[in-house]
Amino acid sequence: MPLLPFYIASAIAAFGLLYILRPSKPSLRRGGAVVALAGAGIFISEALRLAGPPSAGVPIALLIALVVIGLYAAVRVITHPRPVFAALYFIVTVVASAVIFLLLQAEFMAFALIIVYAGAILITYMFVLMLADQGPRDSIGHIDDDSDYDRVPREPMAAVLVGFILLGTLAAVVERIPSTAVLAESSLDQKVARQQSEALVMMPKYLLNIVKRGDASAVSVTVAPNAAIHGSIVQTQVTQADGTVKNIAVDAAGKIDNTQMVGLDLVARYPASLELAGIILLMAMFGAVVLARRQIEFGEDEARDAAGLRRIVLDVPDHERAAPGGRA
Amino acid sequence: MTHLLAASQFGASHAVTITLAMSALLFTIGLVGFLVRRNMILMFLCTEIMFQAAALAFIAFGRMRMDTGGQIFVIFILTIAAAEAALALGLVILLFRRKETLSSEAWSELHE
Repeated sequence: MPLLPFYIASAIAAFGLLYILRPSKPSLRRGGAVVALAGAGIFISEALRLAGPPSAGVPIALLIALVVIGLYAAVRVITHPRPVFAALYFIVTVVASAVIFLLLQAEFMAFALIIVYAGAILITYMFVLMLADQGPRDSIGHIDDDSDYDRVPREPMAAVLVGFILLGTLAAVVERIPSTAVLAESSLDQKVARQQSEALVMMPKYLLNIVKRGDASAVSVTVAPNAAIHGSIVQTQVTQADGTVKNIAVDAAGKIDNTQMVGLDLVARYPASLELAGIILLMAMFGAVVLARRQIEFGEDEARDAAGLRRIVLDVPDHERAAPGGRA
Repeated sequence: MTHLLAASQFGASHAVTITLAMSALLFTIGLVGFLVRRNMILMFLCTEIMFQAAALAFIAFGRMRMDTGGQIFVIFILTIAAAEAALALGLVILLFRRKETLSSEAWSELHE
């Protein structure tokens, strides 16, 4: 039963998390952290064992250090008694996963994550946390930061049980990955070469720039009509300044980087989703404006003024009849 | 960077496996946090942890297949997370104005 170690690791991690969450025995918190870390360590090392012996050049140690930092910060987010510190710890998680994105060759997403999450979303959270006055004030008027509802968890036992079941279920996916990944690895180089040459064909100006680097007299370039792509090689027809036409083979390998591929695929493969994302953001903006509008309670007179009606005036002397309140 | 970690030099299966394991653990922490936290703002922060875990899984699977689809989906996750943060925090502010507390238990009479 290959999943058994994962289940045991999940149980250990859940047990440790329970003792981190329990507020009644603060001395046990440190022990719970050690146990939870051990559980997470067993979970990851079991996944690593299934992936086989590490090949040269894999920064496994760096990756594991990032995982530990990210998970520790995430646990602090859900246990820290002060909300502002919890939000700050979330930034640590974001940065750790951004570095993991870098290691997985998603450079653009790594920095977009830091800018959007740590820069924009977390700042919004901080604003709201500071806008909302925290907790009751003590006798000399200082705000008591550690309000009750931030210190005492709700139903830690049930929550940890749910988490443990979820982790056990997810372990089935993690366990199945290594075999699939090794299969995919063998054909990846060819796939990348083909992706890069296809991307190069879709960017004629960029292609011309590359050709100009080798042949400064090139004026225009077209892709040769049939069988133009062989692996990373793109066959092109280059027109030079004096009008002669030459066939030049351009090697696309390494010419197109990850960010260019993402940008190209974003508009070429998923244009409808991109538009939809824009609409969602627009609707969110409208929604936020409507929600944030403060409701003002009008008195009777102001309400009638706003509606363009005459104020109800009783027993007013004659010389005040023409007062400004009486406009129709 | 791209050359340093080119597909053939970097044992992708290890990195992908570790990242997926972290994704599973992070999602679990986020879920547990959503259940145990009583501060409404921090409950939404825990959903952001879960978004983060999903994004990690997408990047890992995208790396495994060398497909940009994974990264592009993370762009949409960021979009949804930003929209969710704006709306959820607007709602939290409204709720806070009504009861002058961030505790989600102040609203527990809704179930009756």
